[in-house]
Amino acid sequence: MTALGEFALWIALPISFWGMAMGFVGGHQKRGDLVLSAERSVYIVFALLTVASLGIVNAFLTDQFQYWYVAGYSNRDLDIFFKLSGLWAGQRGSLVFWAVLLAFFAALTVFQNRKRNRDFMPYVVGVLQGILGFFLVVLLFAGVNPFEQLGFVPADGQGLNPQLQNYWMTIHPPVLYLGFTAFSIPFAFAMAALLNGRLDSRWIVVTRRWTLVSWFFLTNGIIFGMRWAYEELGWGGYWFWDPVENASLLPWLTATAFLHSIMIQENRGMLKVWNMSLVLLTFLLTIFATFLTRSGLIESVHSFAQNTGIAFIFLAFMGSIFVAAVILILYRLPALRSENQIESFVSREAAFLLNNLVLLGAAFAILWGTIFPLVSEAFTGQPIAVGPPFFNRVNIPIGLVLLALTGIGPVIAWRRATGRNLKRNFALPVGIGVAVSGAIFLLGARNGYALATFGISAFVLTTIAVEFWKGTRARARIEGEGFFAAFAHLVGRNRRRWGGYIVHAGVVLVFAAFAGRAFEVEVRKALNPGETVSVASPFGHTYTLTYEGMSSSLEANFDRWVALLSVQRNGASVGSMVTERRFYRVNRQMVTEVGIRSTPVEDLYVILADVEDFEGIVANDPAAQRIVVQVMVNPLVGWIWYGGVIITIGSLIALWPTAEVARRRGVVAGKADAGSLAGAAPA
Amino acid sequence: MVILGALLLVGVAVVLILHPILSGREAPLESAGEEPSEAQFRKRISLLQLRDAEYEHAMGKLGEEDFQALRKEISAEALAAIRAEEAEARGAVPALGHADGGGRGEDAALEEEIGRVRARLKGGVFCSECGHPNGPGSRFCSECGSPLQSPRPSTTS
Repeated sequence: MTALGEFALWIALPISFWGMAMGFVGGHQKRGDLVLSAERSVYIVFALLTVASLGIVNAFLTDQFQYWYVAGYSNRDLDIFFKLSGLWAGQRGSLVFWAVLLAFFAALTVFQNRKRNRDFMPYVVGVLQGILGFFLVVLLFAGVNPFEQLGFVPADGQGLNPQLQNYWMTIHPPVLYLGFTAFSIPFAFAMAALLNGRLDSRWIVVTRRWTLVSWFFLTNGIIFGMRWAYEELGWGGYWFWDPVENASLLPWLTATAFLHSIMIQENRGMLKVWNMSLVLLTFLLTIFATFLTRSGLIESVHSFAQNTGIAFIFLAFMGSIFVAAVILILYRLPALRSENQIESFVSREAAFLLNNLVLLGAAFAILWGTIFPLVSEAFTGQPIAVGPPFFNRVNIPIGLVLLALTGIGPVIAWRRATGRNLKRNFALPVGIGVAVSGAIFLLGARNGYALATFGISAFVLTTIAVEFWKGTRARARIEGEGFFAAFAHLVGRNRRRWGGYIVHAGVVLVFAAFAGRAFEVEVRKALNPGETVSVASPFGHTYTLTYEGMSSSLEANFDRWVALLSVQRNGASVGSMVTERRFYRVNRQMVTEVGIRSTPVEDLYVILADVEDFEGIVANDPAAQRIVVQVMVNPLVGWIWYGGVIITIGSLIALWPTAEVARRRGVVAGKADAGSLAGAAPA
Repeated sequence: MVILGALLLVGVAVVLILHPILSGREAPLESAGEEPSEAQFRKRISLLQLRDAEYEHAMGKLGEEDFQALRKEISAEALAAIRAEEAEARGAVPALGHADGGGRGEDAALEEEIGRVRARLKGGVFCSECGHPNGPGSRFCSECGSPLQSPRPSTTS
């Protein structure tokens, strides 16, 4: 099975190039037979990549350590859950996984468009097969073949990095990759539109859903990564502006910008060149993310430099795409002229444009901060650090502007907002925002950014609540419906809009959680059994933890030493927590597992910082139980996860197909009745 | 075994890919006439904008003057799109499935909705400032005191 998997990769390569050639030639020459051949090649490449992926999974499940990749990321006693996910544990398998996900989306696109968008499909297939061909070339010729064999069969593998043996780290890559690969579809349609000259809004309408699907997975993938970091890295934080983190954030920022700017193109026929450029940029950033995280570049500039094959292929690919796309955009510039102009800087169009500029600004700052140290070290050999202080200084103010815009954009009028309109719609939310800020200030908070965040969050939530309230009430009266029926129909009739509002509410929660970090409390103490440590929560109560003692045990894959602490809140018992050290025998690595006790408003977070006498504990020596613990209270951190759930719900509402869409598939729009528009014609 | 599997994969792949070229079977290069044209798309967008503007007016989000100005602009755009669509229909060969009796499209449903909102706003029934429903013939809203729009001579069906 595994050997067949390798063979499948080799067959897939010429077929993907065939599909690319047939797609472009068939589209240009209007040859339906070539196009059919190209579309079938997409299904075939998907099937072959599935065989290759199953081959790798099979190798993990059957402990075939003669394969370099399996030996490097697995061992006999590894939990089967982690063996199954070995496909994306490391660079080589990840590239196959990426390719098979892309092939799946490509096959789905071809299937969905058997009868629709036919003038786009030949070029869409050509582009998608080109991308797949690139990944196959990398896999087979850049020294990263997952089927490479060692030449002997080791008795056991080296095991999986213990920090990756965590549920969140298992689902984080697949979800993120679904986001990255899904964006290839809008990119392919954009390129097809440039090639076939159909530069009206159709390519936007066709790819809107795919863009939202991609964004949905990117958002969840990033949040899962944050959860992993919070649970597993054990520092109490969830984001470190690490190059790998930044790599996934960059396309998220530009995809968010794109999601908003396409509304401007749809409604007002503006920003056509901008949208083309954003699609190109986002796609290149998804490829860049793979490049950055899976090419070895981050581990060390010097080890990376030894594998220049992969670097050359990635850079050549990104460079060619960039050049080809720019040439096409310039060629089609006349057809991409805006139909309207921004009439006022105080309008929804201007708010959306500002949203885009701010998101792009953040993306460029983060990109610069990420690659500058690498470039500098490559040339000078001197490592320099661009760390959280830089990124926070730049991104916190940007984040505040963005947060404010989520409240302004949906409410401000299209085209031009008058003073009347502004007063009518913003007086209450602004008032509430200022009041909330003031109240928190009076409660003792002094951090400026946190106060601003909470105030703006209250402002945004008020605008959202008012929209829902007023919209439901209007609908109820107009349609004569009850409140709940009106609410359901309101959302159902315009899912993108109301789903979007719910997403914004989730985003507000996440931002508020970020602001909570300004109020973190931390205590570090050495404890003998029976001794206590107290930490005061910013919400006014006090936690007291009593160290009960250590226990030890031998598990299948690791040895563990567990510290048990009982917890009291203002003197009343609320249960117990554990924090532990683990020694993974095969990997010979010691890791710390933290203890987390979550409430809706805060997390109590305990780290076993130091154990003095491991052997004494194993020997049950009562004198050997002294430890050092670090206890933190992390206010509002749970709001990140709750916010993520709300974002998910909102996205699903926005994505859910309506009955109209299904109807439209089979029915042409009826002739217009100009009656409803009479009385409004210009005099 | 592996070699057999590999040969099978290659064989199936090659047959499937070459079959269209050898047999002349073609994938359709044109859609079956259901794609909305740019003019139809513009018309639909205008109707959606009109519907949203009517609702925002009914919600109290958009004041009377702002609403009238916006409505005028959007309606003009919608009429232009309708004229463009009619010109298209006159000039183009009727596409398959483009039957007049093909059922009520979304656009008709939208227009109905817009008419419904308008009807409720007429006659001072519904205050455009605060959304409170008032009895017919009222001149001031009993909730917020704003003057209600006076009933105009009906110009819509």
